[in-house]
Amino acid sequence: MSEKTGVAAIEARGASRYYTMGEAIVRAVDDVSFTIERGEFAALLGPSGSGKSTLLNLLAGLDRLSGGSIVVDGRDLSMMGSEALARYRRLTVGMIFQSFNLVPTMTLADNIELPLRFAETPRSERRDRVMELLSNVGLAQRADHKPTELSGGEQQRGAIARALANRPSVLLADEPTGNLDSRNGQEVMTLLRDLNEKMGVTVLMVTHDPALATRYARQSLHMADGKLVSTVEVLQ
Amino acid sequence: MIRQDLMELAGRNMRNARFRNLLTTMGIAVGVASLVAMLSLGIGLQGFANHQLMKSGMFQTVFVTSKQDIRNQEENADAKPEESPLLNDEARTKIAALPGVEEVSPEVRATAEVDYGDKTNITLLAGLPQSAKDEEAVEKMKGRFFSSATADEVLLQREFAKKFDANPDSVLGKTLVVRYAERQTGGDSSSFSIERKEKPFKIVGLLDEEPFGGMRMISRARVFMPTQTAEAMNLMQQADTQQLVRATSGVRTYSMLTVRMKSASYAEKVEGAVKKMNYSAYSYLDATKSIRRFFAVLDMFLGIFGSLALAVASLAIVNTLVMAVLERRREIGIMKALGASDGDVKKLFFAEAATMGLIGGAMGVALGWVIGRAINFGTNIYLHRMKMPAENLWTVPLWLVVGAVGFAVLVSVLAGIYPAARAAKLDPVQALRYE
Repeated sequence: MSEKTGVAAIEARGASRYYTMGEAIVRAVDDVSFTIERGEFAALLGPSGSGKSTLLNLLAGLDRLSGGSIVVDGRDLSMMGSEALARYRRLTVGMIFQSFNLVPTMTLADNIELPLRFAETPRSERRDRVMELLSNVGLAQRADHKPTELSGGEQQRGAIARALANRPSVLLADEPTGNLDSRNGQEVMTLLRDLNEKMGVTVLMVTHDPALATRYARQSLHMADGKLVSTVEVLQ
Repeated sequence: MIRQDLMELAGRNMRNARFRNLLTTMGIAVGVASLVAMLSLGIGLQGFANHQLMKSGMFQTVFVTSKQDIRNQEENADAKPEESPLLNDEARTKIAALPGVEEVSPEVRATAEVDYGDKTNITLLAGLPQSAKDEEAVEKMKGRFFSSATADEVLLQREFAKKFDANPDSVLGKTLVVRYAERQTGGDSSSFSIERKEKPFKIVGLLDEEPFGGMRMISRARVFMPTQTAEAMNLMQQADTQQLVRATSGVRTYSMLTVRMKSASYAEKVEGAVKKMNYSAYSYLDATKSIRRFFAVLDMFLGIFGSLALAVASLAIVNTLVMAVLERRREIGIMKALGASDGDVKKLFFAEAATMGLIGGAMGVALGWVIGRAINFGTNIYLHRMKMPAENLWTVPLWLVVGAVGFAVLVSVLAGIYPAARAAKLDPVQALRYE
């Protein structure tokens, strides 16, 4: 389990995201504050519609805050324009999804090369980097396979490799085991923990499974109706 | 994203929807083909017309008259005849020395009677300068051109030769006798006498067409001899009367000098220089201006009709790309989540539109060329049946090839603006929402 480092990787202060639906205002994320330290493995729990995915999208720089601030690696997302946010998504955070979201028409290697293309990594370095990432997740032999030719677990490991392509400091995982059987889920969780422990990547995982949170996360953030209702730290 | 990556991704996307993109690209190709076909027809027709006019030598020719000439006094109200020098041998030498001038010759025309065997006919006689050997009518004639600028040889119009022999070809190489009026200058400048003279000539050529496209005064003549030969004969001409009655007479003057340039590009300069010498000068450049204007308008209309198909094709591009945006919603969301900026997404769609334009444009030019060849072929079959020589009515210049492909790319990119903006604005949260 990760150690406390005392340095904040993610710091949310009064983070809010409101939607207007006709006359009504939906407070999807409502005045949420928390801190996740560098190198920490944290879990974000809550029932469906509690706002945890919206919060994750805010952290990923895919959605914009309605109020408050989120500071990641010392930079305030609320102050960023769309170009800066794209750059942030490209270099600072990696994201993995419940449904893997590999581009189905591309091979695994091409999928992993995609963020390297956006980051304008020199072409000469890319092939080696892709192979390195693939062997880190044990998929070196599957480089030229299309996602449909891979198992769910392999797809998710491929997605993790892609999320790490530009060496982000934070990995955001949205229900990473939600579409996997228990054996594959186990494999993915082990991989995430290894990355966290060996490479020091900060991990924030959204899940609705408290057992998973208890087992892997040092800190669990519980949400309900857009608010953070409790923060549980697991003491080692 | 660097350009190479952009093109690779665009190419990959297009291969994934191969059939749809192929259809759209074909649409562009048809549009470009119709544009190329229309414009090259316009250009070809213009070239054809220009070629015909150029062959007449008209554009290489400037006609010089003195403002003292009676014709100019009537036409040019502002002409100051007293200031204009005489068009004499001195002027002729000066004009001949102008850069680009190949030949200066007077127009020699006279009425003459021609004896051939026991037959006699009255007709019009004219001098042909040596430069006339490049004339279309001369090139196509039977026989040969004058052996020298002073040869005692004549060319006959075939129709005229028929008056002497039912088989006009048989007159070639035979001799005819020209009876003409010779001007003999008297002791002083106030008189001259006219005497009837005869001179034998060898018939060396038979013309089927009138020289200079029938556009010059001397085109109407039926018997042609070298201009220098004609000059040496001192033929009595119409203008001689005018010259006699004028007080200034005494030296030989010309009613008109025909200045032939090495190429049409000198015409404007020579015309200007001659006008500076205070003579009246006229060239057919002015006439060509209206011809050029006509073809500019024709090309424009052909271009507009040709562009209609391309406009329709551009709608197909919009449709295809909007479909692609809808279809690739999730993929666009993924790309944005992985750090693609709005600009990257926009550029990707522009690259796809431009690629379709480029390929469609290239295919279209090829297709247009084939259509053009086919029309040209058909036209020539028709011309052949009408017993007319084949003509090339079809020209696809390089600028049209490059321009058409460039235009196709431009139209495609313009058509891509809306789909690209739509893709760029796509909300990644919406696009990635699990379905």
